[in-house]
Formats: sequence, C-alpha cells, structure tokens
Amino acid sequence: MRLRRLLPLAFLVALGLHAQDPALKDTFLQAKTLWAAQGDREGATARFEKVVEALAPKGATLGPAWAQMLCETYNWLAVLDDRSPQTKPRAQGRLQALIDLNPDFEVDRALTSQRLMALFDRLKGEKYAAVKLSYAPEDGTLSVDGRPGPPLARRFLPFGSHKLVYTRPGYAPAERSVELVPRDAKTVDFKLDRVSSAVTLYVQPSGTEVLLDGQSLGRTKGHAGPEAAPLVTPLGLRPEDFSEAFVIADLAAGKHQLELRAPCHRTRVLEMEADLATPWADHTLEPLRLEASKGTLSVSSAWPGGELFLSGQSQGPLPVAQLPVCSGAYDLLIRFPAGGFSRRITVEEGKALTVEARPKPRLAFLGLEGETEFTGRARFLSLLEGLGDRIQQVAYLPAHPGETPREALARVKASREAELILLATPMPDKVIHRIELLVATLEGEEERLMVKPLEEDPLGPLVARLNAVPPLHEPGLGLSVLDVPGEAGPWVLAASEAAQKAGIQVGRALTQANGKPLPSVKALHQVLDTAKGSVTLSQGGAPVTLPIQAEALEIPLGASNLCYPAVLAQLRLQYAGAKGDEANLIRLNLGLGLMHFRRYDKAIEQLRDTRLSTVSGVSQGTLDYHTGLCFLRLGNAYQAEATQAFRQALKYPQATLLGPDGPLVAPLARQALEDLK
Amino acid sequence: MSPASPWFRTPVALLCALPALVAIPARAQEGDLAERLYQSGERAYTAKAYKEALDTWGQLLQSAPKSEFAPRALLALARHQVEVEHKPEAAMPYLDRLKADYIRRPEAAEGLLLRGTLLARQARRATELKDAMAEFNRVLDLFPESPAVPEARFRLGRAWRDQGQWGRALHQFMEALRLHPDAAVVPRAMLEAAETMDLLEDLPGCLRMLQRLRTTAPLSPEAQEAAWRMALRVKHRLQKPPLANEGAWPAGRAKWLKTPTLLATAPDGDLLIYQYDLDRAFRLRHGDLAPAGPGAVGAKAMLASPADEVWLLSKAGLIREQAAGLTPLGGLSAITGAALDRWGALWVADSKTPALTVFGQDGTSRTVASPIANALAPLPTGGVVIAADADRKLLFLDADGQPRTVVPYGKDLPAAFRYVIALASDGAGQVGALVEGGDFGEGVVILGPRGEVLRQATFKSLGISGRITSLALDRSGGLILCDRRNDLLFRLN
Repeated sequence: MRLRRLLPLAFLVALGLHAQDPALKDTFLQAKTLWAAQGDREGATARFEKVVEALAPKGATLGPAWAQMLCETYNWLAVLDDRSPQTKPRAQGRLQALIDLNPDFEVDRALTSQRLMALFDRLKGEKYAAVKLSYAPEDGTLSVDGRPGPPLARRFLPFGSHKLVYTRPGYAPAERSVELVPRDAKTVDFKLDRVSSAVTLYVQPSGTEVLLDGQSLGRTKGHAGPEAAPLVTPLGLRPEDFSEAFVIADLAAGKHQLELRAPCHRTRVLEMEADLATPWADHTLEPLRLEASKGTLSVSSAWPGGELFLSGQSQGPLPVAQLPVCSGAYDLLIRFPAGGFSRRITVEEGKALTVEARPKPRLAFLGLEGETEFTGRARFLSLLEGLGDRIQQVAYLPAHPGETPREALARVKASREAELILLATPMPDKVIHRIELLVATLEGEEERLMVKPLEEDPLGPLVARLNAVPPLHEPGLGLSVLDVPGEAGPWVLAASEAAQKAGIQVGRALTQANGKPLPSVKALHQVLDTAKGSVTLSQGGAPVTLPIQAEALEIPLGASNLCYPAVLAQLRLQYAGAKGDEANLIRLNLGLGLMHFRRYDKAIEQLRDTRLSTVSGVSQGTLDYHTGLCFLRLGNAYQAEATQAFRQALKYPQATLLGPDGPLVAPLARQALEDLK
Repeated sequence: MSPASPWFRTPVALLCALPALVAIPARAQEGDLAERLYQSGERAYTAKAYKEALDTWGQLLQSAPKSEFAPRALLALARHQVEVEHKPEAAMPYLDRLKADYIRRPEAAEGLLLRGTLLARQARRATELKDAMAEFNRVLDLFPESPAVPEARFRLGRAWRDQGQWGRALHQFMEALRLHPDAAVVPRAMLEAAETMDLLEDLPGCLRMLQRLRTTAPLSPEAQEAAWRMALRVKHRLQKPPLANEGAWPAGRAKWLKTPTLLATAPDGDLLIYQYDLDRAFRLRHGDLAPAGPGAVGAKAMLASPADEVWLLSKAGLIREQAAGLTPLGGLSAITGAALDRWGALWVADSKTPALTVFGQDGTSRTVASPIANALAPLPTGGVVIAADADRKLLFLDADGQPRTVVPYGKDLPAAFRYVIALASDGAGQVGALVEGGDFGEGVVILGPRGEVLRQATFKSLGISGRITSLALDRSGGLILCDRRNDLLFRLN
C-alpha cells in the first residue's frame, strides 16, 4: 500500500451550513450586495436584522460557520448604524454583541472606521485580555477551559484563571494555566513531545466502523473537506464521497490488522506494517473504499395479506420479487392477517434468496399467574421467556412487562395478535412443586400440562409437543406392501391401476428401488422419504418407474406427543392458504381435531359441507363416516342425520381411516347403521 | 326477655363456632395421616412386605375412610388379590366398595375396569358377559379422560368378539387404536382388529393391519404374532404354492419316534407329539423332544390349552398336565377329536355319539346336536369344524354349534375323498384335513375359513407311503404329518 506523509489537518474547514436555513445565507449575501453595490442602507440593514433575528437566539450553540456569519453581520450593522445620527447609538451595542459572541473575531478594517475600531478595542479591553500562543507542531487542538477549538495565534480570554490544553494525535498533550487581569497580555508557548505514530484514514462510505486488531475504535463520520482533495482527486473521486479524517492515534509498535465494516458493504481487512507504528510519525493511508455488497430476496406465500418486514423495517406487501437487499443476516418477519412467519435469513452477496412463507400460529405468553413465591420461580420464568428460541412451528410472543395475565388475555383477544395463549399457574400446595401450563386457542380448545419447576427441563415436554406437527400427507406409490417371510423384499398385496399399468405385478416382491436392494417395507418408506419425483422399482424383471404421490392422512387423535390447540391453530392457518382437495382435507382434519376436544357440533360444521373428490384411502367416505360419528355423539336427536352420513360413507367402499393403508370405513359404517336400527 | 349483652353473646358465638374451628385442623390432620399411611403401605408393598402393606392400607380405610387415599388403598388391595394372591374373588369386595362409595374418584375408573375384567374372566358363556361389558361402558361414559379408557375399549371389543359380534368388536378395537394411539393396549388392539377383519372377510384389511402393527410396534410380542399370522394367510390364501414333500422332518430324521399317532400345535408354536408306544406326549422344540404332561394310555385326542397345558383324551377320560387324576368324559369311548372354546369348555367328538359333548369347567356337560363327527378342530370364530363321514361333509360350526358353512367332501377338488382321518387348524383361519378313500385317495387338503380349498395333494403325488394318522399346521405355512408305521414325521411345504 502506498503511503503518504501526513497532511496538516484543517480545523473547521468545510463545516456545512445544513444545520440552518440555507435561505438565511442568501439574505446575508443580499444585504452585503445591497450596501456595497447600491448603497441601499435601509435595505441592507433590514436584511442584516433578519439574520440577527434568526441566529442571535442560538448564540453559543451555533456552528463555526454560522457564528462567523453572525459576527460579520454585527460588524456590518455597527458600521451601518454608525452612519446615521438616528441609529448611531446602536452601533456600540452591535459591537458589544459581537465581542460577547466571539472576542477573537477580527473586525473588517477596510469597512470599519478608526473610531469604531477604537471603540471595539476599548469595549473588548473592559472584559478580555489577549493571550499570544505558539504551537509546535501546529494543526493540533487547543482546549480552553475544556472547550476545544482551533489553535489560533491569539486568543482574547475573560479576566481570571484559565486552563489551556494543546493536543495532537501521536503527541503527549501539554497543559498551561494563565491568570489574566485588565490591560494584561500573556504569551503561552506549546511544544509537544511525540509518543506514538498516528494514522489518518479517509473512508468511503461515511459511517464505516473501524476496528483495530478486532477492537472497535468507532465509526467514521461527516464528509472530507478540500484537504483530502490531493488524495482523492487523482482517483477520479470527490472529497465529499469520503468521510472526514479518522485518526488512529497511539498506535503501538508492531503489525496491526485494520478492519472496516459497513452495512451493505463488503468488509475490508488491511494489514498495517510495523513501519507505520515505528518510527513515530504521522501517516495518511490511501483513501479506502468498501465495495457494495448486495443480494436479492424474493418472498411469496400462498396465504393472502402478508406484509414483509426485514429486521423490523417494512418492505411492503407480498409477494416481493428480486428485492435488492444488502448482504448480511436479517430477521425476516411476515405478518399475515392471522398468523405470522419468521425466520433468520442470511442474504449472500450476488445471490438470490427465495422464501416461501407459510404462516405459523402465534403463541402469546400471558404470564405466570399470581405473585406466589416458590423455589425456582425466577428460573422458571426465565425458561418461559426463552421458550421462543426452542419452538419452530409456532411464533412466540413474550409477556408484556407489568401486565397481569388477565390484562394480557384481554389484550390478545381484542387485538387478535395471536392464535394461541400460554398461561402458567402454580398449583396451590404447602410447597409449590407443580405448575400447570395451559395452552389454548382463542376459540377455547385447551390443553393442560403439569410440570415441576425444579426438574431439569420443565418446558421440555411442552417444547416437544409444540414442535410436533402431524403430516397431512405421506409419500406413496399406490402400492400396498407387506413384509412376508421368505420373500426378497416388500410383497405387493395390491397396486393401483396406474401402478399395474406401469408394470407392477401384484403378488410378487419388490426387490430393488432406484437400483439398490430393497429388503423390507421399512426400507421402502425410507426410500420414499428421501426420493423426489419418482422411484424406480424392480420385481426381478424390467424396472418400473412410479411417480411419488402425496397420499392423504388423518391426524392422529389422542396422541401424547401433540399439542392439539397448536395443531388446530396450524390447520386453521393452512386452510386459509389452501384450495380444492387440499383445503377439504384440511377441513376433514380440522373436524378430527375438534372431535378430539369433543366439540362435535363444531366438527360437523367443518365436515358436513366439505367434499373430497377422492374415493379411496382417506377420502369422501372417511369424511362421511366421521360426520356420522359426530352426529351419533350429539345424541338421539340426530339419529337421522347420523344414518344419512353412514349411508353416504357406504358409497365409498375403498375409503379408509388413518391413511391409505388403513382399515376400510365400510364395515364400520355398516355396523354403525346396524346399531342405529 | 331482654337481649343478651354483647359481653355475654361473644362467648356463646365462640362456643358455637368451636366445633367448626376444631374440625378444620382435625380434617387436615386426618388427611396427613391418611397420606402417611398410604405411603407407608406403598413402601412396604414395594419391599414385598405384603402383610404389612395390607394391614397399613386396612388401617387407612378404617381411620380415614373419607380421605382421598382411601380409594387408592382399595384399588391397591384389590390388585394385590388379583396379581399376587391370584384370588380374584377376594378382590371383588374391595372393588364393590370402591364402586359403591367412591364412584366420583378417578380411582373408580381403574376399579371398574378391573372389576369388568374379572367378571369377563369368570363368564362361562356369552350371556354372562353383560355385567363385565356394563363396567367397561361405565369407564367410557363416566371417565372419558381416564387412562383406563383404552383398555376398557379393548376389553369391550373382546367381549363383543366373544359374542360373535365382529362388527361391534372391530369398532371398539379401532376406537382404541384411533383415539389412544400411544396407549399400551394399541398393539393388542391392532392384532385383534386384524383378526376381526379376517372374520369379517376383509383379508386385505387384515393383512394391512398386521403390517401396520409390525411397522408401528416392531418390538412388541404382538408384532411377532402378526408376522406368522400374516405369513400363513399370504402363503395359504394368496400365494397357494403346490404342496411339496420336504421328506422326513426335522432334518431328515427317520425312525426316531415310537408310534406317533397324534399331533397338535402349542400356543407358542411348538409341535406336540403323542407317541402311542410311550403312552405320553412330547414337545418338540428346536429339534429336541421333551416329555410334556403325564402319561396317558391309548390317547385318542390331544390339545394344548391357552395356558400351554397338554390335555390328553382317552377312553378312560381326560388327563391334564397340571391336574391330578383323571377326569371322566361321560363314557365317550370312541373319541375322534377335541377342542377348547373361549369359555374353557371342552368340545369332544365321538364316533359313536351322534352329537358333540361339551364339558364345562365346573364338570357339567351338555350335548350339541351334530352328525357323528369323525374329526374336530377349533376355529378362530370360537366354533369348531367337524368332519361327518356319514354325510361326507365338513361342517363349520359357530360358537353355539350352529353350522355356518357346509363343505361336501371333494368340493373344489378333482375327485372326492371318502373319509377324514384328522383335522387341524392354525389359529389364522386355515384348516388342514387328512383324508383318504374315494377317487382322491390318501392326501391332505387345506381349507380357508369359509371352507374353500386352498391347497391339496395326494400322498401318491407327494411320494408318501406309510400310515399317516394325524397332522398339524405349522407357523411357516407347512404341514406336519405323523407316520405311525415308520415312526417319523413328514413336512409338506
């Protein structure tokens, strides 16, 4: 890397005027022109007054450029006031205001009369004494009573004691004290001792984090002034494209690693050679530019009404296609009218990331009921707060601090911000050693789980259940196979018409799948779980390729590894984004889920108007059979409806329960009809 | 009368409230005592100090009958009588009290289930299952969330099956496995559901359910059972390979027996062989013969009880492995076959009696109208199959002795046979018949549950010569024949 010798740092150069109204600057320039070119004293005075009116109230808080403008304005007004007998008395006030604002300001001698200058010096001498300063080296920072400023050769300071500190990167600071009295003048000389090297950086973009040997030194800021022009212009760039100078002082001896990080840019790492640190000197590195780093993100969902948020920032409604995104990690969140979807994503530079979003039910933790103290309460609460990190199928919403469970429930019910609620309740006892965890849907289906606060992982069972999602399909080939002793592989008991047409022979064993031996039914299931599209089977003769089909399943009822409120919430969300038979299969399973909670009336609502186009496996006959069971459970009043439903079920002799290889519905429906007679 | 002054009223009020104030801590103390007594009993029971445990629980019942631990103690006492003492009748008083006094308590569900199970076990005929079924239904109706529900459903299914109500039985088995997929009873329910489907003539459903059982609970004993039941059905009913003679079995052994005349299959699949010259039965396990049961001269029928006990029937009577002495069989002198039904009753065929004689466990006997049976074998339906040479028919009788299927000799065969020497069944619905005479001659026929011929062969075609007197169906789809003349066994596959 080419290095340049340190250029003197310019202090207060190019401080923008953006903090104030740019029109004020025009007013100031107009005033000067009106007087200088047209001799319009009133017009000029009126405009200068406007500048004073705007800037004077801000006084000490003004930036250097605006303070300079105000000082000049006072100077002009004093001169203009001094030219008219009516306004002459005001001139002294103008000068006093100028001195109060900046006693170091030098009045314009070409503009100001001798008399006024004498008045100015007299007024200044009433409060201030001059201090002559010299610096070695120059271009450092002089702090007077803790206020940093440029290293001026002369300063006017109020009478009294003052502490002057002169600093410069790479040097040990020097401190002096002065005692000023009226008509006094002091001389102060600063000579600094070098203690280390200093390295100056100009970085594009501004705002880049600078790390030295892994330790953050801060971020670059602002924009470089003309002092950077000799460095950046040869590169065809402008100083304002770079940050203002960032100085690394106190550089220890030896090699160093410089790392520059900025959002949306590729991180740059530079090795700093030992000769930068020793011998002690000032160095300015070549201007450093970070390359932009972006990828694209596309997000879609079959579910309507989603809005995309990336790390909390809305990116608009779905679908989002080819959105340019700075590379890096993001918390992707999609808010649906019901349910949410969240995922931690990493966008890689130059790559396209595609996300298909399926909303997850949201579980709102309402809190721990009551104030009862028990051993392990704090740990238990902390485990509950961290539950979101352990569950994947449900989005977790922590409790709001200071809110009671009752208030939280009212909030969730009113806002519908969650589909599920979780409430923890200590069970009253001599010593509390049981906590009841209640998970419920907002519709009222609930499950309770008892845990012990002191066990190693009291939330483990809940986590396992919330993470378990029963499948609604399994991969199949339209075959029914058995493990028959003495056969080389799964023995084909039955095959669909399509499978038989393709060449599968019923009554023979499958010996190979995708060219590998197939010893058992379990092995075939494993092949199906991992295969995509189709599977090539052999029964000893020519291989037969069968497409993998999604075969419908019923959700298991009463399974201890499932959290049924969560299952119902999942199904309700899935239904919102499903169509055709897929939607109807979800409704069938919603009905089953409601049957699990013995909400047979609600189950009938789901089942009775649902029509599946399939006639074998879990199909229309299955649905009719469950409809009949629900009517049966509602009592004698619905016998006619139950009979009708079972009769309907009998129309589908190939309909099964559980799954494609499950028991036939027909004999069960027949028996139910028999019992209803 | 002037009202009492406040100074007077206060002590009166206090005195009135005293019993209540005293009662609260007393009840709490009683609860504590009951809990301690229960736990003390549990500790003793775990250490197998049964007397101490029973005494402690008895004390609990006396001292704190209203405590929540009283029903637990009753249930524990009942279980002890059933499981350790093997005195179900002694458990009944505890269960009766549990049902009468604590029907609202969760322990009542377990108590009702146990009570129903014992009642079902005591039943000696289908009509006696009513009370047991009522208890199972109570569990389902009163305690729908109880862990006892899956077992109650399963037991209810068994009760329906024992009554020949297979549709209802299947419904209960299906509900047990569908609504309680994690329950311990599920493998049993699957096995029963599969067998019931077969009875309902849904062979594919039966086979799929057996496969499901093997897939979902591969390590369960029921999965092992499912494996051979599936294998038999597939081989005999679907594959139906021609029978082939594997020769002397096992391992080509010849002249190793002493006049084998009877064969039977034990519940665990072992072959039982009665050797006429040795007057006793032997168990063949892994190629080794071991005596089984007491000696019996001239046995004409042999069977294995569900408890794997060998029963031998001869002119003299019944000799059981675990029972001392001989049980007379009412003068039956020409016994041709015997089978035990689900109720423990012994069905006996006699070639001189134009009826079947059924001996109850209590020693009583009855007759079931039937033609003279020249052979008899049990069926999974709870009934039996008999061979009536006089009528030249095989009759598949239900559990009440009513013929459900009649198969004329020679139906579906190239030629008719005339006599059935012996019958055997494999527990999965297949029946083997050892036949002779007629144009068919000596041979074997394997029939399905509805009498359809599945496989058949003549001894001539198999190259077998000898005097074959009995047969047994093994669990690999083979057929074992005993040759009394050559003192060996053949296996057909």
